[in-house]
Parts: sequence; C-alpha cells; structure tokens
Amino acid sequence: MRVLLTLWVKEWLALSRDLHGLAVLFLMPAVFIVIMSLALSDVFRDGAGRQTVFAVLAAGGPNVSQALADDLAGEGFTSTAAPDNEAAAREQVRKGRLALVLIVPEKFGADPRAKLTLLADPTLPPMQIAAFLQRLQGATLGVKNAAPPLNLEVVGNPRGGKPSSVQQNVPAWLIFGMFFVVLPISALFIVERRDGTLARLVSQRVPFSMLLLGKVGPFFVINLAQTALMLAAGVTLVPWLGGESLALPSRWDLLAAVAASTSLAAIGWGLLVAVASRTLEQATVIGGVGNILAAALGGIMVPRFVMPESMQPWAALSPMAWALDGFHAVILRQGSLADIALPSAKLLGLAAAFLAAALWLHQRRRT
Amino acid sequence: MLKVEGVSFRYAGGEEPVLRQLSIDVPAGGIFGLLGPNGAGKTTLISILAGQLRAEGSVTVDGTPLEELRRREPASLGLVPQEFAFYPMLTCVENLRFFGAVQGLGGARLRERVDSVANFARIVNVMPRRAGELSGGLRRRLNLAIGLLTEPRILLLDEPTVGVDPQSRSFLLDSIRALAGAGKTIIYTSHYMEEIEAICDRVAIIDAGRVLRDGALDELLRDEAAAVPVRHNNRSLEALFMHLTNRSLRD
Repeated sequence: MRVLLTLWVKEWLALSRDLHGLAVLFLMPAVFIVIMSLALSDVFRDGAGRQTVFAVLAAGGPNVSQALADDLAGEGFTSTAAPDNEAAAREQVRKGRLALVLIVPEKFGADPRAKLTLLADPTLPPMQIAAFLQRLQGATLGVKNAAPPLNLEVVGNPRGGKPSSVQQNVPAWLIFGMFFVVLPISALFIVERRDGTLARLVSQRVPFSMLLLGKVGPFFVINLAQTALMLAAGVTLVPWLGGESLALPSRWDLLAAVAASTSLAAIGWGLLVAVASRTLEQATVIGGVGNILAAALGGIMVPRFVMPESMQPWAALSPMAWALDGFHAVILRQGSLADIALPSAKLLGLAAAFLAAALWLHQRRRT
Repeated sequence: MLKVEGVSFRYAGGEEPVLRQLSIDVPAGGIFGLLGPNGAGKTTLISILAGQLRAEGSVTVDGTPLEELRRREPASLGLVPQEFAFYPMLTCVENLRFFGAVQGLGGARLRERVDSVANFARIVNVMPRRAGELSGGLRRRLNLAIGLLTEPRILLLDEPTVGVDPQSRSFLLDSIRALAGAGKTIIYTSHYMEEIEAICDRVAIIDAGRVLRDGALDELLRDEAAAVPVRHNNRSLEALFMHLTNRSLRD
C-alpha cells in the first residue's frame, strides 16, 4: 500500500506540473457542453426526430389493447406489445423502455367514473404528450362523444423535471471528457517506458500491476473532479449563456457510483492503450480515434433517439452508451440502485478486462 | 560470483535470437566490462540481469538463482540504465525520495540514504531543481545516485557516461572505482574502450549474442597480441575489439 501511495504522489506531482495538459481535460468537455447544449436546445425542446414508443393496457384484454394501439399509432408514435399488468407498465416507463402507457379500465365508456390513465416518461417533451392526447381524443370519439376523462401521471421523476438539451449534453460530453484521460495516461506511460524509468522500477521489483494501479488513483480523482465541474457548468454556465439549467439528481451516491464506474473503464482503456502502443503517435491515434468512434456510436455526438432504429442496437455496443444510460438513469429518471446496476457492472467488467489485457500484453512482451 | 550460463533470448516477433547460449562468470568485487558493437546484446543481457526480461538459461549469484535472490533481497541489485531513468518534472530530491520509497526505504533511513547518495554524486546543490533542467553531467550523476539508494552489492551500469563532458566523465569513473573499492560487484557496458581499459578488471567481448573472448583484461591483451594483424597490433583493447568483431558497420 505504501508503494501504491508513493506512486500516486509521484503521479500527482508530475501531473500538477503539466497544467496545460490538465486544463485540456476540463476545458474540452466544458466547451462541448456549452456549445452543444445551446446549439441543440431547440431540437430537444420540440422533440424533433423522436419516435415515441407507447403501449395500451386495456382491461378488456389484448385484442382491445391492440385495436386501440393501432388507432393511436402513426405520426411519430409507434405501438408495442402491452406489459403484463400495471406494475410492469410503470416499471417499463420508469426505466425509459416505454415512453407512454395508456391504461384503459374496465367499464370505460359505460361508467362515467371510469378514467383513462396515461403513464408518461418524464423525458418526453410536453409537445409530444399533447400530440398523443390529441390522437387519443380522436381514437376514443367512437367510444364517447367528448374528451375522455384522463389521469396523466408522469412516472419516474417525482420533481417533474423535463428533459432538455442540457440533460443530454452534460452527461454526454462529461463521459467524452472522462474517456480522454487515455491521452495523458498513455503519454506518461510511454515516456516512462522510453526514458527507462519503467524498466528501472521493474528492476526494483515494483510489480507491473502496481505500476498500472499507480495511474488509477490520480486519474480517478481527476475524473471525479471533471464530473463535479461539468455538472456545475450545466447548472450555472449553460443557463448564464441562455440555455436551460440542469436539474440535479437527489441521489448523489448513485451519481458517484456511475461516475466511478465510468472513470475506471476510461482509465482501464488508457492503460491498455499505453501498454499496447509503442509510440506516442500510436497512442494518440488509437486512443483519440477510439474515443471518437465510441462517442459517435454511443449517442454522445448524436443522441441515440434520433438515430435510425436499425442503428440503435449498435449503439449499445459502445461503453460510452453504457455510461450515458447510467447517468440518465440517475439524472433524468431519479432511478434506484437497480437502474444503474447493469450499466455500472458492464463498465466495471470492461475496466477489469482492459486491465487484464494490459497485464497479459506486458507479460507476452517480457518473454 | 555471478554466473550466467547458456542464456538465450529472442524478442517477441524477432527473427533472430539476440542472445545465443551466452555464458560469463563475473567474480565478486571489481568491475566487469561488457563490450560489444551496437546490437551485440549488451543491453538485453543487462535487462535480463535486472529482471526486466525472462530468458532461457540460468543466472546465479553464489549458487542462488538470481530471481530468488531478487525476491529475498530486492535491494541486492541496482541498475543505472543508459537512459535518464527519472522524472524530469520532479526535482532531484523528489526523484530520490520516490525511488527510495518504492524500494521500501522510509523515514530517517530514506533521508539518510538520500543525503548520502546526493553527497556521493555531488548533486547536493541542485537537489531543489527539476531534473529536466539539469545539464547532461548532472543528469548522469542523478541517474547514478538513484541506482545507489539501496546500497546494492551488484550494480549494473549501462553506458553511464554517454554524452557528458570530460570533467563529469572523470568524476563518474572515479566514483565507480570507489564503489568497486568498497566491495561492490559492477557490470559495466560502454563503447569507450579507454574507459573499459581504465577501470575494468575483467572484460567480455560479445557480438551477435555470443561471447567472443572473456577474461582478465591484462591476460586478454597479452594472449591475443600475437593473433591481431600487424596494423592493429598495438596491444590496445580497441585493436583486439576491432579484430574480433571486424570493421563492418552494425547499425
């Protein structure tokens, strides 16, 4: 442990004397957050390009549900199979799998007290909900010659915060910035290898795994600092420049868990690139291009919901998409531990895989 | 005695082995010179002795496998690589403290060793300066000082005088002699023949991963004198070296 602390202190000293390099890690995502949040604010406000997936859960059974769903589908609304029951419907809306679920009670149309319930995802723009209500009114005219009695219930966000450009762009560009630690990690590592410092440390029986772990602590702290500052930028800087303010989550512990998982995956990626690359140029190309591809695929540069449906499953391959799912579960949906468990586990698994691959590669080169 | 027996090594993806069944005996105490043209395998051998590379064959110290010795007594072997193997962004004192601490030194013992090696290498006056700002000679002295922190009994010096002025070189050679005088075993590689002749007791000339000649420096020069062609027959180490490794360029 003492050796690890010594390595961390050394790393801090070296990093703190390269303030320009350090500043880029903070300025780059902050600039992206501000520019993209402002540039895309209208797109997000109008819900442009969004296909809203809904389901109908009718007490009369699947045939009634399907008939009503068919009437409601179209013009940006796509129907899907109804959940088994109301509890399942609420859960799916809370997790963001369904944007809207219409619950039709027994005796609707016959008993004036029977009301429709519409469960809505809080990330859905109000314009989309209004448009759905209009379609609903049209579809139910045959049942009742007036606007249907309706309970509108927003599920998953007790404070009713609505999604905005800033809610997409702050976590997205924060993740992008966090993954960019690949560049300083690999640069420091390759310079250490080139200058013989790494060889000297190995000859002094400092385990190679310890040398890799020696990079984790300082960059983990940097990633957490990035998280705090980028969230602060979303709360203060973006509204100051005319955009919407970021609504902060109530569960800071979950936010910290997602940020920590993302950080470890990013650092693991940096360590693998550092060990695999023979030159600084290689590391810059592999690390930089890898990040840009993961960001393009993972809904960082282009939000996933505006991607064609055929492309959306591919987005799930990107670790940045996993991280974005985790951040959205906390920031948008006020989710629970269960909601961040899967994305966090995937990120931690990836971090372990990257670290194992880096160690394996080092061993292979040694013999 | 450090005994290297039948050591072979090939880099991953390399076509030819860098070392081929190489064997040398390095007696305890004194300075053992390792000579060879570029690509002969000197640095690879040093890397194997330092534990950075794993090779076929055996390396023992007084009968104990080197790996076991390094495990039991990690501080028994010190390395001074030919690169400036320290952190240019850190000051001299921070570098010394860091390399001492990762080798298990701490508290008063660490302070004492840092002071001692700084005095030995005469870098006391530049301790608060960043290592990257030092002159070539001072960097070489810091590089040497780091290798001495744990008082190793075997010291591997890989071209420790490259790129320094005559004053610094003279100081470094005197320092290395002093270390050998204190009973340390030093393995020394260099391209400077006059350095090897000036400070080494025994020499091995290697090329293409094999030992061409090894033995006491005086004996080598005496025994080989007759075999060296007339134009090189000046009984110098350089003449012997050129005769054994031939004059073709290697890079």
